[in-house]
Amino acid sequence: MELNQVSYHYPQQPALLQKVSATVPKGRILSIIGPNGAGKSTLLKLMAGIISPTNGEVLLNNQSVTTIPRKSLATQIAVVSQQNDVFDDMPVIDVVKTGRLAHHNLLATISDAEVAKYIEATMLSNLAHRPLSSLSGGQRQRVWLASALAQDPQYLLLDEPTTYLDIHYQAELMAILQRLNDQKHITIIMVLHDINQAFKISDELWLVKNGRLVQVGKPEDCYNRELLASIFDTNIQIVDVPNYGKYIVEIPS
Amino acid sequence: MSKAEKVWYSIILVMLVITILVSMMVGASFIPLNQVMDAFKGDNPNQLDILINIRFPRILAVMICGGMLAVAGAASQAAFRNVLADPSILGVTSAADFFIMVGAMLLPAFPAGKFIFSILGGLFALFLLTRGPALKSPYRLIIIGVAMMLTFTGFEQLFSSGFGGQSAGSFNGITWSQTEVLLFLGVSGMAVAVIISPWANYLKLSTEQLQTRGVSASFMRVSLLLVVVYLSSSVSSVVGTIPFMGIVVPNVVRYLVGRDYQTVIPLSMLLGAWLLLVVDTIGRIVVLPSELSAAVIMTVIGGPFLIMMLQRKNFNGIKSS
Repeated sequence: MELNQVSYHYPQQPALLQKVSATVPKGRILSIIGPNGAGKSTLLKLMAGIISPTNGEVLLNNQSVTTIPRKSLATQIAVVSQQNDVFDDMPVIDVVKTGRLAHHNLLATISDAEVAKYIEATMLSNLAHRPLSSLSGGQRQRVWLASALAQDPQYLLLDEPTTYLDIHYQAELMAILQRLNDQKHITIIMVLHDINQAFKISDELWLVKNGRLVQVGKPEDCYNRELLASIFDTNIQIVDVPNYGKYIVEIPS
Repeated sequence: MSKAEKVWYSIILVMLVITILVSMMVGASFIPLNQVMDAFKGDNPNQLDILINIRFPRILAVMICGGMLAVAGAASQAAFRNVLADPSILGVTSAADFFIMVGAMLLPAFPAGKFIFSILGGLFALFLLTRGPALKSPYRLIIIGVAMMLTFTGFEQLFSSGFGGQSAGSFNGITWSQTEVLLFLGVSGMAVAVIISPWANYLKLSTEQLQTRGVSASFMRVSLLLVVVYLSSSVSSVVGTIPFMGIVVPNVVRYLVGRDYQTVIPLSMLLGAWLLLVVDTIGRIVVLPSELSAAVIMTVIGGPFLIMMLQRKNFNGIKSS
């Protein structure tokens, strides 16, 4: 996937993203980080083809995502968005089955067996027939992940998947993502709020501020105090934590 | 099928059979069950005539309409993502009634006019509901819907004074030929509703979630709403408006068996048939020799039900403190 001079703005509004150009490393984990309102979620939506760039293009296998038919795009790109509630209620397994719609016609009956492997991969087997509303936030996030995986995508896009999760569920989710990346070679692109998490798990980082892609690089190249301080407009210190490695902390000025 | 579903299917079917039998027996003249049997054996041609040409078509028509209205309510609730979105309180059926009346005034000889004008009226109301800000909040949808219902009803009364107007939701004097029309419209519409009932489940996801799964929410929503208009306008064109069926029945069904529309829709069909048959049978006997229309009784049952639903702490997933 490649972004070519991608810009986006709402009509009569200042640009949310300006001339973003970059290439997504295939089969790797990419995290987009930056302050609130930098345009991270917008960037993710553009890459998912949910919205179309006002200028430039997002290319998937050299074809603009906006020209790829919905259904075919859904077999290549899956999204776990921030809004992850359903109206009314639904059993977990039925939510997962909706992911299979990318591969079937609208009236097809999708069997339980067909989604069993996605439910196992996300450790939901004992929750499969529970209503979604009865699950905790961390469990629900795994349900939406399973549903996205049911699309059998090459690219998995996640918008702040760990927000609102406690530290245990965060670690659990990151472990699942890492495994998916290792074993199935799914390219993972996510917007993360927790920069240390992003530095830890990612193969590549995109640092975004004010609608511009400021820096692209491997995490080890981004441990740069001045760079991070200017992006987040705050005083930053990078410390060494035993058994963990480098850790970024905010120091009150 | 889960255990609860099997149990409720059986219970409702048994209730339906019992109510059909009772409904055959009661009316202006009481015909005990053994005489019903005798009549069918050919022992009493007069009673057989009452049963075959008056009671039987009426029972059939009532059951079909009950099923149609309940299914229309369930499908409409799924399409609008609102558990109170019933065509009768959203003004869809009153728009249909109003269009029928205007059509009858302007083009009295138009073939199948009632049906066509009724469908047009329903579509017009849906057009008004779906283009404005009504969809932004579940409360707003209901308020705008009720306002539209009152408006269309008011206009209908304004124009119909001195004109006769539409028979309001009563099955009194229904004929075999009307019943046959209802049978055709009802079976076709309800069959489509059952076939596309999985879409009602998919629409629980947001438009964006469906989009990223390669599926068009609008296509499924519009399809469901077309079925809603087809079903509710069909009933309006033959017997007039019977309110609240589409709120009461699907919500009771959801309470009994859960939220899977592939169960809610067929079970609503059965429970709707049963409820309207009970209502119509009661209406036939409480004020003998006159009758209470099914619409009046349904208003008395459905009004308080709607108020109760709105007063609940947790309406449509929105918690009020």
